[in-house]
Amino acid sequence: MDISSAAAAGKYLTSKPATSPQETSANTSHGANLAKDFAETLQTAERTAQAAMTGGADPHALVQALAQTELAVETAVTVRDKVVQAYQEILRMPV
Amino acid sequence: MSDFSSALSLSSSGLRAQAERLRYISENIANADTPGYRRKSVSFETVAAAADDKAMVRAGPVKLDQSELTKIHDPAHPLSDESGQYEGSNVHLVVEMADAREAQRSYEANLKMFDQTRQMSSSLMELLRR
Repeated sequence: MDISSAAAAGKYLTSKPATSPQETSANTSHGANLAKDFAETLQTAERTAQAAMTGGADPHALVQALAQTELAVETAVTVRDKVVQAYQEILRMPV
Repeated sequence: MSDFSSALSLSSSGLRAQAERLRYISENIANADTPGYRRKSVSFETVAAAADDKAMVRAGPVKLDQSELTKIHDPAHPLSDESGQYEGSNVHLVVEMADAREAQRSYEANLKMFDQTRQMSSSLMELLRR
């Protein structure tokens, strides 16, 4: 079995493309879509709340919109807390 | 749209349909003594959504009860005919009360589903928080 360093380096070079990170546009557009959905949910809730105050909207629609917003905000806050926590964890890492 | 928010909107459509049903019941009860009033009833129908497979519900078109109007004997009434009778409504209060109770129970069931969906989503997020 050939285990010389040159051969190992050669093997590593050939396998490099498989391990290199690939730039995918799908990832960023997914995040953008998520942010857009989130903003849309908030806007819908705001519009429905305003309409309900002026007597234009069904109270069921108001409750539904607010519950959906609550769900979205809760998810966003939880994810943000998790991200901040991970960041602080890395910051505290002894180097 | 996640399953949770779909469940919320489905429950909300059920709540709206039951509220509309209750509105027609209260119309019937309010008009129980109106001469010539025919009882209104609605049947529910599934909203056909082509984009997704969500089956929302809505109250369908109003139907007027075609059963015979009750004859009320009152010769002094301005609407009474030669035999001293006039046509009242065909609303039966017992039927309306039973219908109203059924609407209330269905409304509560939808409300319970709404609340349960919210609880499930919050407990899912609670899992991430600790």
